[in-house]
Amino acid sequence: MQMRVAGLSIALSTAMLATALGAAAPPAQGPPGAAPPRLQGKPNLSGIWQALTEANWDIRAHQARPGPPQFGALFAEPAGVGIVDGNEIPYQPWAAAKQKENFARRWELDPEAKCYMPGVPRATYMPFPFQIIQGTNKIVIAYAFASAGRLVHMDKVEDSPADNWMGWSRGRWDGDTLVVDVTSLIDQTWFDRAGNFHSEALHVIERYTPAGPNLIQYEATIEDPKVFTRPWTMAMPLHRRQERNAQLLEFQCVPFSEEMLYGQLRKGAN
Amino acid sequence: MRLIFVSAIALFALCAAAAPGSAHHSFAGEFDVDKPIKLQGTITRVEWINPHAWIHIDVRKPDGTVESWAIEGGTPNTLYRRGITRDSIKSGMVINVDGYLARDGSKKANGRDLTLPDGRKLFLSGTGANEQPNQR
Amino acid sequence: MRHDIRSFATAAALVLLASAPLGAQSFKTPWGDPDLQGTWTNQTLTPLERPAEFAGKPVLTEEEARAYEARLRQQNNADIRTPGTRRDVTVAYNDVWWDRGERIVADRRTSLIVDPADGRIPPMTPAGQARAAKARAANAAFGDNPAAPEDLDVYSRCIIRSALPRLSTGYNNNYEIVQTPGYVAILQEQIHDTRIIPVDGRPHLAGTVRQWLGDSRGRWEGDTLVVETTNFTDEARGSTFRDATRNMVLVERFRRVDAETIDYQFTVTDPDTWTRPWTVKMPWNKVDGLLYEYACHEGNYGLANTLRSARAAEKAAEQK
Repeated sequence: MQMRVAGLSIALSTAMLATALGAAAPPAQGPPGAAPPRLQGKPNLSGIWQALTEANWDIRAHQARPGPPQFGALFAEPAGVGIVDGNEIPYQPWAAAKQKENFARRWELDPEAKCYMPGVPRATYMPFPFQIIQGTNKIVIAYAFASAGRLVHMDKVEDSPADNWMGWSRGRWDGDTLVVDVTSLIDQTWFDRAGNFHSEALHVIERYTPAGPNLIQYEATIEDPKVFTRPWTMAMPLHRRQERNAQLLEFQCVPFSEEMLYGQLRKGAN
Repeated sequence: MRLIFVSAIALFALCAAAAPGSAHHSFAGEFDVDKPIKLQGTITRVEWINPHAWIHIDVRKPDGTVESWAIEGGTPNTLYRRGITRDSIKSGMVINVDGYLARDGSKKANGRDLTLPDGRKLFLSGTGANEQPNQR
Repeated sequence: MRHDIRSFATAAALVLLASAPLGAQSFKTPWGDPDLQGTWTNQTLTPLERPAEFAGKPVLTEEEARAYEARLRQQNNADIRTPGTRRDVTVAYNDVWWDRGERIVADRRTSLIVDPADGRIPPMTPAGQARAAKARAANAAFGDNPAAPEDLDVYSRCIIRSALPRLSTGYNNNYEIVQTPGYVAILQEQIHDTRIIPVDGRPHLAGTVRQWLGDSRGRWEGDTLVVETTNFTDEARGSTFRDATRNMVLVERFRRVDAETIDYQFTVTDPDTWTRPWTVKMPWNKVDGLLYEYACHEGNYGLANTLRSARAAEKAAEQK
């Protein structure tokens, strides 16, 4: 009887000790693709996500457009209602003209064609998935396209020593919203395939707000006093990829861009 | 004695980390071992990029004309970890380049040995420079 | 009852003793998995294979180790010139741009390979040797004049740097591990890749899907993360590890030893390449710093320059 009592006491005291030490029981793992439970008192945004908009073709409202004619409808561009609040990008007059030039030469100039990293916020709404891995003081956002990736520092870090294709991201919580402040962005990325662009002064503030287990409301504020007359915002939902075997696969497009970039330097090309 | 060390063992040591089937970046394909070059020029701009930084300099020739040259460096990430920043070298600075000419005949060279006019190695002067990368 | 109170106190004490081994620090995430998170480097001076001078000597003494380190640092010092040699061109820049490491591994082994016991890569199979010879011949055929980007290796093309498993290279040997329930992510500075390792027991991808960094699946064995990676690709030069085939199986083991160290080991198995599996052990050491972005393809002037040089050399040869 004394043994049984002792055994019961051990079980009880283990549980009490565990609770006292604040050790959480490992959260129940649902099927792959299910929403994970809250982590360290905050929403856990981990998972594979994707935007379902036509924004990568043009972030403003636009009608359907032809693609390169030899491919018929294959690479034509669908219409979209746009993701820009007020449907207006407040360009300075010189910049509005430059955007039109970019558009006219977009198949030649778009950095996406060269498999260059897409920058922020374009990476969010390209029509390909990305994966968030929310750690204890860092959050990884890994994009399928061009194996682009970002590390969101939730702890205090120094400034970036350089300007980067994917910027330098510092995150904090505002209630249940993850706010990411992105600086040190280079000027060579576009917002979309329509030639909407920015300078190296670009500053992006992202807000990721969970709106249900499989939905994040995403908002980005764009500031760039060299190009725009005022800050502007864009917003769209992000949907969890819920396939049973959902996995972020490589979209390693560097080899696919080599003909475009180096074809004229190939032996026998000239 | 030092030369014997270097020629006998160093080549092996340098290749030690390389997988036999895959060549490193083929510097010898880009720059000509038979065309060493020495230049002195004024920095006009620096591309702090990977995989190689590029230092652009204006070289004044004896006849007074100015040529623009692009000098290839290494990865800036290593410099950042030594406390070297983009402010460490600025437009207007004069540097000496001892390297090898680009094989395609363009005005490019690799910056095999970059020094200041007083002989000090580039980057190893000034605030925070010459720090060792993170010790373990 | 008074029995309960006494038993409770004893039991509580026993539980405390059982869960906190004296002298050990426990690294656990808030959800109870072993914690490997942080910024790490696998940089070391220790060579992969035991050099001939240390044959039969698996470990150095303290004194030998310090002398060996000094000698290696001297050999690696890129400020030392050998003007007019091919080596001088390939060393390429001053020592300030390089980070080949300061120390050999802390346990003073003379090779990173721990199995086989001679510290050398096991013999290749005849098929493996033939494949390696073919690769060498193809390289030699174009020499310094590649016909097209695909003649060059994945490193020069900025596709991956390099195939898994990654050994330490001349610089930027940095990794960031981030964990969440069900996943371990390993960011590699070169080339901004994120290895995402599910630890939920799901099966590998179909064999028809090949990836440059393969397909990784992890599981916890006590305190050790065991990662199995398959589904490699052989579609480009250098896309496999040391002339292995796409069917190589990589098993890595990560165990947090202390605040500053991860005990990292890998075993590679490829019966079409090596006569037996072989195992490497090299610590990952904590970095007091951050990963920086390494955009490669975006700034890869060198590839265009190399192709342009090749075309110029051919033109010059024609005109002779």
